[in-house]
Amino acid sequence: MTELLQQVVDGFGRGGIYALIALGIAVIFGVMHLVNFAHGELITVSAYAAYGLFAAGWDWWLIAPAIVLIAGLTSVAIEFVAFRWVRGAPDFTMLMTSFGVHFLVQAAFVMYVSANFRQFPRPGWIFQTWRVGGVSLEVFDLLVILFTLLTLAATYWVLQRTMFGMSLRAAAEDFDAARLMGIRSDRIIRGAFALSGLLAGVAAVFWLMRSGQAGPSAGLSPMLKGVLAALIGGLGSLTGAVMGGVILGMAEVLLISRLPEGLVGLTDGIVFLLIALLFVFRPQGLVTVRRAERV
Amino acid sequence: MLEVESLTTRYGAIAAIREVGLTVRAGEVVCLIGPNGAGKTTLLATVAGLLKPSSGKISLGDDDITDWAPDRILRSGLALVPEHRRIFADLTVNENLLVGGVTKTTARRIELRNEVVDLFPALSSKMDTSAGYLSGGEAQQLAIGRAMMAEPQLLLLDEPTLGLSPKLADVVFDLIETLRNARLTLLVVEQSAQRILEVADRGYVLRSGEVVASGPARDLLARQDLFDTYLGRNVDPV
Amino acid sequence: MPRRVVDRLVLPLAGSLTTYLVLVGGGTVYAAIGNSASDGLVTQMLINAVVVLGMQIYIGNTGVLSFGHIGFGAIAGYAFAICAISPERKAAQIPNAPFGLAEVDLTPLQSSLVAALIAVVVAFVIGLGLARSGARSGAVAATVITLALLFVVHEVARNWIDLTRGGKAGLSFSPLSGVTLQGRGWIYLALLLALVAARLFKETRYGRLAQAAREDDLAARSMGVHPALQQMIALLLSVFVVSIGATLRVFELGSINPRLFFFKYTLLTLTMLIVGGRNSVVGALVGVVIITTGSELTRYLAGPSVDLPLLGWVLRSGLTDVFLGASMLGFMIFRPNGVLGDWEPDHWIARRSDRKSTEKQPELPPVDDSRPDGFLRVTDVVVDFGGFRALDGVSLTASSNEVVGLIGPNGAGKTTLLNTITSLVTPSAGSIRLDQDVLDGLPSHLIARAGIVRTFQNLRLFPALSVQENIEVARLAAAGHTGGRWQPDVELLVRASGLTELRHRRASELDYGNARRLELARAAAAAPRYLLLDEPTSGMGDLESEQMIHRIREVAGLVQAGVVVVDHDLNFITGICDRVYVLDQGKVIAVGTPDEISQDLVVQAAYLGGPIGPSR
Repeated sequence: MTELLQQVVDGFGRGGIYALIALGIAVIFGVMHLVNFAHGELITVSAYAAYGLFAAGWDWWLIAPAIVLIAGLTSVAIEFVAFRWVRGAPDFTMLMTSFGVHFLVQAAFVMYVSANFRQFPRPGWIFQTWRVGGVSLEVFDLLVILFTLLTLAATYWVLQRTMFGMSLRAAAEDFDAARLMGIRSDRIIRGAFALSGLLAGVAAVFWLMRSGQAGPSAGLSPMLKGVLAALIGGLGSLTGAVMGGVILGMAEVLLISRLPEGLVGLTDGIVFLLIALLFVFRPQGLVTVRRAERV
Repeated sequence: MLEVESLTTRYGAIAAIREVGLTVRAGEVVCLIGPNGAGKTTLLATVAGLLKPSSGKISLGDDDITDWAPDRILRSGLALVPEHRRIFADLTVNENLLVGGVTKTTARRIELRNEVVDLFPALSSKMDTSAGYLSGGEAQQLAIGRAMMAEPQLLLLDEPTLGLSPKLADVVFDLIETLRNARLTLLVVEQSAQRILEVADRGYVLRSGEVVASGPARDLLARQDLFDTYLGRNVDPV
Repeated sequence: MPRRVVDRLVLPLAGSLTTYLVLVGGGTVYAAIGNSASDGLVTQMLINAVVVLGMQIYIGNTGVLSFGHIGFGAIAGYAFAICAISPERKAAQIPNAPFGLAEVDLTPLQSSLVAALIAVVVAFVIGLGLARSGARSGAVAATVITLALLFVVHEVARNWIDLTRGGKAGLSFSPLSGVTLQGRGWIYLALLLALVAARLFKETRYGRLAQAAREDDLAARSMGVHPALQQMIALLLSVFVVSIGATLRVFELGSINPRLFFFKYTLLTLTMLIVGGRNSVVGALVGVVIITTGSELTRYLAGPSVDLPLLGWVLRSGLTDVFLGASMLGFMIFRPNGVLGDWEPDHWIARRSDRKSTEKQPELPPVDDSRPDGFLRVTDVVVDFGGFRALDGVSLTASSNEVVGLIGPNGAGKTTLLNTITSLVTPSAGSIRLDQDVLDGLPSHLIARAGIVRTFQNLRLFPALSVQENIEVARLAAAGHTGGRWQPDVELLVRASGLTELRHRRASELDYGNARRLELARAAAAAPRYLLLDEPTSGMGDLESEQMIHRIREVAGLVQAGVVVVDHDLNFITGICDRVYVLDQGKVIAVGTPDEISQDLVVQAAYLGGPIGPSR
């Protein structure tokens, strides 16, 4: 029982990070119909920024918010440089474009920084555990859950209570009707990328706290997980993305704990396999989003 | 107030509207009728800035709005209630209205929303309902209310009675009267020619992308051969 | 020699052989004048060409973005290594290999074929999954499933140490065992076969039907194409070719590890395919050459032998990957169809020979007066969309020798009715019968094969295919399913639609009137028993609509099909229809001849909202 509780907390801890990334991906898909495989680069950039700031003597307390900001700005920059040109292009083109950006940024890092991973210090306290009623919970997990909930709450607030958020949701549903209301397409898309970047930034903080390294492929794994989570939820659904993230996190933790010794390394592979099966039988994801095609 | 001159809009190689000209004077209710595929929706969409014409000119007051973006046109006082309404089903009624007023200041937006709700009491009890759950009639009211949030002087309505039962269509036509009394200028596209002609001041008949007849509504209403334009036979343009 | 055979077999073969000789010749010359490094480069380039050709067979013809082909390559590569490595070496590397694989001792050729076969079997399973998920051009689900394959294979290879010796060490052939590539003979052969396979597949029935589905999935289905079948065949062939390429890669390298067939190689091969033009076989080769050259150039520039201080910040290691990423991105933004688009060298020859060829007289339809009248009968159909009843007990009958019109105000349910007959929409009640056959519940492509072919309100041609190809493909899709019905000659249809001058023009470049005519011709090529036309004159002027009446009559007469036409142009309807149904708010409010309908006050009211005229 206590073990299960620990695993659930652990699962939420992981799931929280995935949910944030997935939400960022879903936001962009909503307005642009683009699956942003370059989303992971935001985490890579954050990783290098963290490394650089550490070298400059900064502390995690300062670095964390800095990373969030940097991720947001980078996201907008990527939109400006790359995705702006392919708006409205066929899906195949957009998919390949996002892969192209992904590989390009990764390659640029290899070229200008290093192909190797650089370590930076992780805050010591994250691995402490608290004993709550006989259960050992990692401080880190609790913090992730806390901040994820805070971030989701903040995002929810932005989406539901601000004009920007309402405009974003309107544009995601019917882009042209939104323009008729006076909403400017450029601003909305840039705003979507900014929001998506900030979400990635928060996720990056925790991801990096745990991994403690910066390398060109730092963003690959979380990006894949995030994309998968968003897809599980059914692209275009924001709640679905969050759900997908939590489900993914839970699945990972449960698999790791239940798999026999020799197969633990296959956790990622098994998760991927399960997701592939989901897509075979339910290609639209778990949450169905209304989108009729006029014949 | 609105002057359209020799407007042509193309979809690829086809000219959906060809050398169309019309005038809407302040305070008038002008209607646009004609068979389907005539280009009525294309015309409204072009005027509102969603489509770019390949030739011609659109003037709103003293401004040449031909190349303006939709949001700029909106700020100048022209709003469009599109065909099929296109309300945001995922947003609540309240949010739909607020989005309609996105170009206004926060305070003004709230004021306007309250005014619109006064105009459409049927919506007041559904402010927090998802717009996707509204009935056809309520949705139409929401769509019009949403457009009015921008405080337009000229309101374009594209087939406001589409998909509504005759009784609800009545409500819409009453609404058009109310709006006219509130000194709003209206350009209405309608399928139901007879009914709109009873309410309008003047009308234009469109067929195959061209204006084939125009004049005071009363005169058009009295014409035997109006149905002939729907049948495709040529009529006197008077 | 029949024209068809020349066009579809001889010319492509000739084009492929020429390209092959150019490529191989150029490569050999380059290798000869260079050093051992350039020799190795040419070998790698040729092997990559095989792999990319394999990918082209699937991605090009189906338009589905597959990230998994290198995963299939991994499967084949490992299978090859496990089979071909000598038992002594295996005992040293993977003594505990399951299924007694440590004992296996096959020649490289045998191993290669076995490996390819294994990969193809896996591909079959994956193909079933893809079909079930509704894979088509641009579908994300398909990309995810194939990405999953890449990932899963990588993980298995890294972790199943007993079989693969894990990720760090990998498997290797003995450097002294004599199992080397020994010149490029095998590679040349594999490349030639891959090239021929890819080029000819593009011309086969399966390839062409896959291309149709790629261009417009819905339109293809409405013509009787079953996309999943074509995609499966493309997948199996492509995986076979990729597998051969993968085994060559392993053979040349002398070892295998999981990283060899993962993201980096996927990126490389995909970029090669995209840059050259994924819809062109020769394009795949061009892409390979361009990227190989570019990569080598960047490697050279970033290497120690070049010293340009001003550009030092650019010419560093890693430049190659930047080049690859930039190429992929650049092409997607500026030239998404690649350098060659879908051009093949034999197209050039075909165009030239076209001018000089003598047209043979197209076959005329058999005169058949004995055929009894057939009926298309729609009975009491009810269609609900959520709470909204779009069709409320609609019945309609059309016989095979008349033209039936379907009119009504906007939103009346006309297109919904057509959609219901062709199974794009499922009715809540009612039935649809074609003579004695019940069509309820059949998928769209089977309804098309039964003889009901439709056109669409929003024109749905196959944009990248030419006018002639659009018609050919429709004819091809229906061939074998016509149940004895006569299929018109492509030549006949091209002429009958007045499109002779434009026959090689891409459908996307046609003006509207011609596009509509092509649509009609294409529908007729499927030998329909009933033509369902959805607003064929929308956007047309009076004169064109008038002409359309004649064209439709002509085409329908040619294939002896009944016609159901939906339109708003009542002049056109009056001119072409024998009988007319009037729909309003999901119900039939009137049936009769066009004259009766136009006098009917009820109909007038439906359109105008009330009686109009001085006698009101």
